[in-house]
Amino acid sequence: MNQTVFHAEGVTKTFPGVTALEDVRLTLSKGSIHALLGENGAGKSTLIKVITGVHRPDSGHLTLNGSAFEPSGPRDAIGHGIGVVHQERNLIPRFSIGENIFLEGLSAHPLKRIDYKKLFSDAREWLDLLGVDADPSMPVDRLSVAKIQLVEIAKALSLNSRILLLDEPTASLTPHETDTLFAILRRLRDDGVSLMFVSHKLEEVQEICDQVTVLRDGRNACESRTLEGLDRQAIVRLMIGRSEQIPDWSARDRSTGDAALQLKDVSTSLGHKQIDLTVHKGEIVGLYGLVGAGRSELAKAIMGKFAMTGGSVLVKGKQVDIRSVADAVGRYRIGYVSEDRKSEGLVLMHSVLENVGMPIWRRLAGFAHLLTNRTVRRHTEPFIRKLEVRTPSLEQHVGNLSGGNQQKVSVAKWLAAEVEILIVDEPSVGIDIKTKAYLHELIRELSDNGTALLLITSDMPEMITLADHIVVMNDYRVMGEIDNTRDYDTMSERIMALIQGEETVAAGV
Amino acid sequence: MSRRIWENDWFGPLLVVVVAVAIVGALNPSFLSPFNIQILLLAISVNAMIAFSQMIIIAIGQMNLSVGAIGGLAAIAFGGMMEVWGIPWPIAAFLALALGLVAGLANGVLVAFTGISAFVITLATLSAYKGVNLGITEAQPFYEIPATVKALGNETFLHPLPWLIIPCVVVALLLWYLLNRLPLGRSILAVGGNEHAAELSGISVRGIVITAHAVSGLLAALAGIMLVGRLQLGQPTIGDDWLILSFAAPVIGGAILSGGHVSVAGTFLGVAIVAIFTQVLVLFNIDPFLVQVVLGVLILWAVGINRFREVRAQRHAEQVAT
Repeated sequence: MNQTVFHAEGVTKTFPGVTALEDVRLTLSKGSIHALLGENGAGKSTLIKVITGVHRPDSGHLTLNGSAFEPSGPRDAIGHGIGVVHQERNLIPRFSIGENIFLEGLSAHPLKRIDYKKLFSDAREWLDLLGVDADPSMPVDRLSVAKIQLVEIAKALSLNSRILLLDEPTASLTPHETDTLFAILRRLRDDGVSLMFVSHKLEEVQEICDQVTVLRDGRNACESRTLEGLDRQAIVRLMIGRSEQIPDWSARDRSTGDAALQLKDVSTSLGHKQIDLTVHKGEIVGLYGLVGAGRSELAKAIMGKFAMTGGSVLVKGKQVDIRSVADAVGRYRIGYVSEDRKSEGLVLMHSVLENVGMPIWRRLAGFAHLLTNRTVRRHTEPFIRKLEVRTPSLEQHVGNLSGGNQQKVSVAKWLAAEVEILIVDEPSVGIDIKTKAYLHELIRELSDNGTALLLITSDMPEMITLADHIVVMNDYRVMGEIDNTRDYDTMSERIMALIQGEETVAAGV
Repeated sequence: MSRRIWENDWFGPLLVVVVAVAIVGALNPSFLSPFNIQILLLAISVNAMIAFSQMIIIAIGQMNLSVGAIGGLAAIAFGGMMEVWGIPWPIAAFLALALGLVAGLANGVLVAFTGISAFVITLATLSAYKGVNLGITEAQPFYEIPATVKALGNETFLHPLPWLIIPCVVVALLLWYLLNRLPLGRSILAVGGNEHAAELSGISVRGIVITAHAVSGLLAALAGIMLVGRLQLGQPTIGDDWLILSFAAPVIGGAILSGGHVSVAGTFLGVAIVAIFTQVLVLFNIDPFLVQVVLGVLILWAVGINRFREVRAQRHAEQVAT
């Protein structure tokens, strides 16, 4: 039963400026479901990419069924029986279920007539095995997400996969569909398949997994241990435990200033309910929660990207109706530093100057909407200098800068826009520790100068370093709030207790 | 494949064709005269080849701006070889087809190995192929076209069916078989539908891109050769006005420009619709420049319908999921 199928030893992978994985170990046993856990940026996806042959590790080695395994690419890994069901769909939308399952076999004989009857009856067998009730000739773009996922699993199994990696398979499933999926996963496990399960939903992990590996900051927080005797709180502690020194800053109470941003009993089209939140001038309010708690979504709703369906928003004490992001930036001076700077925060192929100037073009444009580079430069350069963005020139493409400098550019952008309220989402993802410390000082300085900051981070030390007041969210609701005493151990215990609170509430319903 | 009849790509265009023929035939009976039908079928035969040549590239989610240039080059090569070198027409036709194949291959190889978008590559080769065409002809047509070729390009084998409809029907059937029954054709659609997934399923994306461009070049050349017979001239300007039609017909026939889905029958009917509308404007003495406007409206209409269907399908899928 406890036979090792796959083993990774001492895996290290660095990207320019960041160490994504450092000395990571992982063991998959035959017939088990293994949970891979960790917060955003902990290195989960890098590890998956190493196992599936997308990335080659800088050092360390992998063994598969007792022999060395060095996949030359994703195809090679698939050929060795490692199947993956990604979050993004990997099927041909207009093709039938049957054809998608057996797409692999198609390219062998390009001019041999396809025997659809046989193809569909073969597909039927796989669908029956997984208990999927669907016509194999149905195009996959007519299927529900849950069934598409099962078709992907069928496809992987048809390729003789003995190891199956599932990246957040339940993210878009209903509870009922999740139950069905779990029943299938258990059956596969009993048939001797090794499954690796990535999820942010800890209840699910506890329900279905036998073993667990937790990553934190690219290292093992625990390695391939059994889930027995590990309760939810212990898992959370492993995921967010202390990993660095908290700078010795004094606790501040900024809640006496004027309220800059207030949410009163707000609900949104995304499912937030009864959100109450106040950020005062010069205050840093932290929004803590596990991934999927609805924090970034709330930020985007405040920015006018998603609709509010109830409650009221007050900016500087006045009730407002923010209808678009342009509204939020231009009229109410709210800025948002996205967690995903590469696709949402910056235009990588444009210059530093253009990126920083973007939010103020409209304001700076003068007569006949003419705008000179000189004007933009005059209004942005001080901020770029202040943040010490390391770039050969302002004409440099942002895509060529390091992660930390890119992050500085995305902050500089909002400083130049002279926002009064700034929402910062996961500011230190993908940047090194030194830049991170600098960024922290910068955020603190901003608040000292009167900017109201709403900080979203999954990084507990960062939260306790920066926030004056912490609001804890879970499942699109506010679970409670506490003033930050900057004592790491008591604070992290209290925050965890607040997240746990959801369980007692749920039990009561 | 339990889909209802009106959900097929060809259903809408077919309905338009039937209704248009019925209305126009009732208003002006000469529209249904054998001679007029012959003219209509001649136009459809050549234009269908042009549309198929683009359709195969749309299937992989790319564009081929050089279909007209390849067709023109093949046309003047066909005419020139017969006039200048006195080569018998079947051999000249074969060599001109080979030229089209090579031109298409060149497109495919450049796209597959440089990673530059097909739009840019074929924009460049459009200019290059057209330049070669003008260099050879000095913008003068080849007039010495054998009588057989002229006859094949205009006459009927079974009144009112013109000879040219034969290659058109054969190519349509072959393409349908390729895209629906052969792994090669399914791979073409798979690459257009989700390139990443196709690659992970062992399909050689490069090989498929090159193949599709080669087929496109071959079909464009065939259209050029057919047009030489039809016009009884090796005109250097052949192909100059193909581009809009080549996109319009597949799109009217339900093709998705991002790739992964085309319909041979739909494309054929798309060509028929354009031909009928063009004829009608002539028949009723309406300014022929209006054809361009009508074509534009048709494209928007077709894209609009496709979009509507897509949105509805998504909503349906969401309802199933929740």
